[in-house]
Amino acid sequence: MDFLELINFYVIPGIVLGSIYALGAVGITLVFAILRYAHLAHGDLATLGAFIALAVVTGLGVSPLVALPIAIIATAAVAVGIDKVFYEHLRERPKIVTVMASLGIALMIRAVVQVVWGVDTETYSRGIVRPENYFGLRIRDREILTVIAMIALVGGLQLFLTRSKWGKAMRAMSDNPNLALLSGIDNKKVVMLTWVIVGGLCAASGVFLGLNTELKSMMGWQMLLPMFAAAILGGVGRIEGAVLGGLVVGIAEELSVLVIPSEYKAAMAFAILLFMLLVRPTGLLKGKVL
Amino acid sequence: MKTKILALAAGLMTATALASVPAKADVKIGLLGGISGPIAAMAPAMIDAAQLAFQQVNEQGGIGDGEKLVGVVGDSACNPQNGTDAATKAVNIEGVIGVVGPHCSGAVLAAAGSVTIPAGITMITPSGTSPEISTLDDKGTVFRTVPSDDYQGRALARTLKEQGYEKVAVAYLNNDYGTGLANAFKAEFVDELSGEITQFAAHEEGKASYRSNLAELAKGGADTLVIFDYGDGTGLTILRQALENGFFDKFVGGDGMKSEAVINELGAENLATFVSSSPVGEQSESLDIFNEAFKGIGGDPDAIFATTSYDAAFLLALAVEKAGGKKEDVAAAMAEVSNGEGETIRPGEWKKAKELIAAGKAIDYKGAAGDHNFDEKGDVPGTYALWEVGANGFEVLTEMK
Amino acid sequence: MEYLGLLNYALFMAIFIGIYALLALGLNIQWGFAGLFNAGIAGFFAVGAYTSAILTTEHADGRIGGFDMPFFVGWIGAMIAAALVAWPIGKICLRFRSDYLAIASIGIAEIIRLVVKSEAVLTNGARGISGIPRPAAEFPSMAQETAYLASQAAYLAIVVVVLVAAYLLVERQFNAPWGRMMRAIRDNEGAAKAMGKDVEFRRLQAFIFGSALMGLGGALFAHFNRSITPEAIDPMVATFLVWIMLILGGSGNNRGAILGAAVVWIIWSMSEIATDRLPTEYAIQAKYIRLFLIGLMLQLVLRFRPEGLLPEPLRGDRRAPKSGADHT
Repeated sequence: MDFLELINFYVIPGIVLGSIYALGAVGITLVFAILRYAHLAHGDLATLGAFIALAVVTGLGVSPLVALPIAIIATAAVAVGIDKVFYEHLRERPKIVTVMASLGIALMIRAVVQVVWGVDTETYSRGIVRPENYFGLRIRDREILTVIAMIALVGGLQLFLTRSKWGKAMRAMSDNPNLALLSGIDNKKVVMLTWVIVGGLCAASGVFLGLNTELKSMMGWQMLLPMFAAAILGGVGRIEGAVLGGLVVGIAEELSVLVIPSEYKAAMAFAILLFMLLVRPTGLLKGKVL
Repeated sequence: MKTKILALAAGLMTATALASVPAKADVKIGLLGGISGPIAAMAPAMIDAAQLAFQQVNEQGGIGDGEKLVGVVGDSACNPQNGTDAATKAVNIEGVIGVVGPHCSGAVLAAAGSVTIPAGITMITPSGTSPEISTLDDKGTVFRTVPSDDYQGRALARTLKEQGYEKVAVAYLNNDYGTGLANAFKAEFVDELSGEITQFAAHEEGKASYRSNLAELAKGGADTLVIFDYGDGTGLTILRQALENGFFDKFVGGDGMKSEAVINELGAENLATFVSSSPVGEQSESLDIFNEAFKGIGGDPDAIFATTSYDAAFLLALAVEKAGGKKEDVAAAMAEVSNGEGETIRPGEWKKAKELIAAGKAIDYKGAAGDHNFDEKGDVPGTYALWEVGANGFEVLTEMK
Repeated sequence: MEYLGLLNYALFMAIFIGIYALLALGLNIQWGFAGLFNAGIAGFFAVGAYTSAILTTEHADGRIGGFDMPFFVGWIGAMIAAALVAWPIGKICLRFRSDYLAIASIGIAEIIRLVVKSEAVLTNGARGISGIPRPAAEFPSMAQETAYLASQAAYLAIVVVVLVAAYLLVERQFNAPWGRMMRAIRDNEGAAKAMGKDVEFRRLQAFIFGSALMGLGGALFAHFNRSITPEAIDPMVATFLVWIMLILGGSGNNRGAILGAAVVWIIWSMSEIATDRLPTEYAIQAKYIRLFLIGLMLQLVLRFRPEGLLPEPLRGDRRAPKSGADHT
């Protein structure tokens, strides 16, 4: 197999898939770090974001990229709303209670999507798009877009977390909640901000998943486990770790068919994760130990 | 708080009690389908097609002395846990006389094993393709209108060979449907017809990218990809990525790929080299009748398993009529209404069938998805055609033997 | 006839509740008493179900077995197999705490699911195994309707006997010094270690014991349906649903686990009857609304009863204000 073929059919799809995983994994790792529980409704929130974008695309006749900001804002609002109505009361309870609540939320969001948009497979634009040829590299425009958008969103988030006042407050909450509260950080605002960011990232991952494949009501749920694997792989609480974890999982899944039967492709994310937990329990980049 | 939960439970109990009071002297048939879960995209059309059969029955004089036939929809979610739960509710709470469904083989096996066989209720599944269903110790109560995977896989292999396909790669969904078809196809194509399968690989559903799988499949130098998957699920993703990246020139699908979603999402102009097999009656007149009727209620006749669902529901209605509404006789009647002997009944011809049954004459249903002459295991031999994508959707390319 | 139908439905639900209660009891040993976040219940469920299926079915071509053994051999085999699978997993994974163990065990359950689906020699692959004998299923002398009722009642009796035996065994262990030690390890690992308890070994014990019960639950499920297919190893219905049952019933309380199984399954099953009240043209949408209702009910119970229907009883040391409520 020549080098170009390896890049074109294994590495590039892996990077694109990895970027979608990364967008989800960053959200998961934020919830883990600041709120300290596993948010199981993450995938279905991404589905919701993708379908909101679809509504905008079909309703206004604009391109998915124009619809993306609207979907991000709408999904962020939904995420904040869910937190206010359902999760907020459980904050003082054992975290496992919130994990179970998020499972119920996942069912509810999926039901809403299925009732509102139906269960048919949908796409943003009909037809197929053949890849362009860049010096032998075969890449579709939307794939370049996916990777750039991922880098831009995560880069922006990183800037926000390191430079702005509220970003620093979020990091403080993640590092030591008691100390952060003592030093006068408004817990409620930090939580709300976290959900705005997480909801937005969910929508972005859903839209790009839909852009690269199709929209289905189960699409988010099916992405949930690899996204979790990516978040933990990168090191909990580490934004750049989640990106790295997402890319590793994505590329490893695509490369796996070279060595193992393709029906075991889905197991690849977990095999890497188990190996990582054994040799380096804090993840690729040093994350928290929960 | 305990009281609150008790109140909730009590509310549900009341709902149950209400449910068990029959509205009229309706005759109920359970329609169990994987409405939530992995085949959620396929289930609604299948349920609608079955409801169409009941609607026609009710418009043309109803069942028995003019009683209404009512379809009770249950969600089997494509797994045994929900499948048996839906079946027991249909049988015990709703008191159905027969069951159409469930859709997935796992749910069929479990629901038959723990509910319908012990309860003596006739079951006819439109889409459970697993050969395990043939071997059930079912006292003759389990039927299906979809042929076992074996028929279609072998028929497709023979037809492809005749059409000049020599060297193919096979991608199949790793579930009972995909595995069954792929193995039957392989057995016939390679062992009997000495064709060449260069790559033979299963895949899991729901992944976002299959390009590396496709690159592997393309390695043997085959120009044709045979896909055994669902056209509104993973099969669509695979077909799209194969087309976009030019891995193969020609594409062949099983009946699961003959879906309107393929044309709607990929565009007919891109599908000139795509053919798929699908069950059809020996004279496709029955299919035309069904297509017209299904379009009339806003359905898409190209939806996967819509024809088999309609046939299953219509056959069950015929059997109930023939059995005089006695549930213990439905299974025996089922074999009689479609055994190749007697006056031909086509889709929608309920009035004619009812009169013939009343007169004690033999009838033979020839359905949209085949003639459905049941063998002793409750299976039907399939008759298939190979379809291509034309200007107006799927068109028959050639009959398959 | 109407009442006979309701009775049959009630029997069916009771059997399912019994099977799920076994799974919840197994999880209670792991989470409620040892604090182990096992999110791979489906994997042990599958190992148990398939082991029993292979042991008790008639000989089949193309896969190992069946060995045509009596059902109780299959059930004991299911427990042993689940325990044997749990042993190396526990040995490797129990060093991860809490959420790490959760994701690791989900991963292992997924790998088990893929193996079950793909290795036809072992499990007949995606087609699954059918023709599993169900004990006390045939009553040839009776009429169809009564035979159906009798076979369900007989199976329920078996499930209840198994469940009661498991409950008594588990309850006895928890009130014994072993149980106190487990709770000590869960609530303060460092202190327990300092007192010379072999924390890792004890955790492994709890993990294996709980997994064996899950395997037994799987076997009971397979024999009831006379078949087992990979579709049954769905994480939603075989893992997360059990978690909901335990948390809602009250983790750390065995009776709570059983009650949780009953309440959640009743909600799960009966919600469909409630949404069927919608007009028939919404018959399909009603199923989606049903899932919404299930999610909403879960939120309500968690909101108003977050410690579970039956909280963990205070045993022994009453100075501990809220044992079990604050581990994550």
